[in-house]
Amino acid sequence: MSNRVVITGLGSISALGLNNEAFWQAIKAGQSGIDTLQGFAPGALKMALGAQVKGFDPAAFFAQKDLPLLDRYSQFALIAARESVEDAGLDAESLTQAAAVIGTGCGGKETDEMTYDHLYKQQKTRAHPFTIPRGMPSAAASQVSMQLGIQGPVFTVSSACSSANHAIAQAALMIRAGIVDVAVAGGTDAPFTFGLIKSWEALRVVSSDNCRPFSEDRSGLVLGEGAGMVVLESEAHAKKRSAHIYARLAGSGMSSDAGHITDPSAQGAARAITAALLDAQIDYQAVDYVNAHGTGTQANDRTETEALHLVFKSHAAKLMVSSTKSMHGHALGASGGLEFIATVLAIRDSVVPPTINFTGPGEGCDLDYVPNSSREHKINTAISNSFAFGGLNSVQVITRF
Amino acid sequence: MSSDIETIVKTAIANQKMIDADSITLETSLQDLGVTSLDAITIVYEVEEICDIEVPNDELENLRTVQDIVNGVRVLLDNKTAV
Repeated sequence: MSNRVVITGLGSISALGLNNEAFWQAIKAGQSGIDTLQGFAPGALKMALGAQVKGFDPAAFFAQKDLPLLDRYSQFALIAARESVEDAGLDAESLTQAAAVIGTGCGGKETDEMTYDHLYKQQKTRAHPFTIPRGMPSAAASQVSMQLGIQGPVFTVSSACSSANHAIAQAALMIRAGIVDVAVAGGTDAPFTFGLIKSWEALRVVSSDNCRPFSEDRSGLVLGEGAGMVVLESEAHAKKRSAHIYARLAGSGMSSDAGHITDPSAQGAARAITAALLDAQIDYQAVDYVNAHGTGTQANDRTETEALHLVFKSHAAKLMVSSTKSMHGHALGASGGLEFIATVLAIRDSVVPPTINFTGPGEGCDLDYVPNSSREHKINTAISNSFAFGGLNSVQVITRF
Repeated sequence: MSSDIETIVKTAIANQKMIDADSITLETSLQDLGVTSLDAITIVYEVEEICDIEVPNDELENLRTVQDIVNGVRVLLDNKTAV
């Protein structure tokens, strides 16, 4: 007998705003967080666009004494985790017993690159002592546990663009197994560092004009940053404390392509979706909405559409499918968290997020992508897809509570 | 140079602990200042950078007061000049 999992808290920071209310208002309005990339010398980069967090002053969120040890990716994680916990109304006792599973694709790149700049470029002979504790891939998870007083299982999950989705799955599994009653889970990333941007440029998957998922003239992804965190809870624990329940996390599915390090596989993605539906014990014909991985690259959008056809067969034509990355950009390890939140709120408000910048269907992209404007429509069952580089796939099934 | 070393060390401690450098005396114990091991290696890092010296790991074990850091730095600087 396993515990059932519900969602009781949401928190985010992204290009669409410094809190979750701003995020959701922007999604519903179909606003873009993508803009001209700021903060780098003109001509130094080919990358022209970014979905950067705007108007962010770390000093407004953190005590001066804490900031030196907080990489930007940890700052985002803390802001979103704190908001999710406050939203859930959790008391200190519940947090003491809770788990935290924090996804990140990149870790503390700001810190690492600063040290490499000192050593390689400035020819300094020693690294700053904070380099490891500030930059390590688990730093954000540790900071969340320290600042929120979370003393149960806390660790980092890293699976590139699926990190947050996988993290949510691990947290849900711990609740179902009865290991914890409460977990903070999601993802964070701050990838706008010189070396990382150059590395993304080298992959030739970054758009120079805009992110247009599933469109014929789509030209690639646009990087984003931020964090999306949720509070998951056993249904019994949530009911006992009369918590507000947003929705049910009905099931999780994971798979690996075991194929190519960058090329996606429709079969691999389809296996994750099928596993998630099986886990949730939900018939594929019950699914109303798919929050797609939808990166805006040629390969992803065609392959993801093929995967949806494989799983949903003739029902695929009835699905509403959208990529909110068209608005918050591809925030890598944070994406799955932001998209999970968008999916939960879509169910709550009966509003389907749009795929903005849609100019007309690309070859092999023949589904209803909810083009350009959000749509009022009741959703009872939705899935949120994350398909990472290296073929690491994770899918969540969320249902109306 | 002695007072310069003192200023450098006090400033490094003050920066790391976010306190007023004037509140630190040579006799102040590092424990009273709440200096953790991570603080200590960061303070030493700052001093190493400014003074261009290399503080051996085992020297860190014996630091109890601000004076201990100042003395240690002075010895290292004297050795450097002698070379």
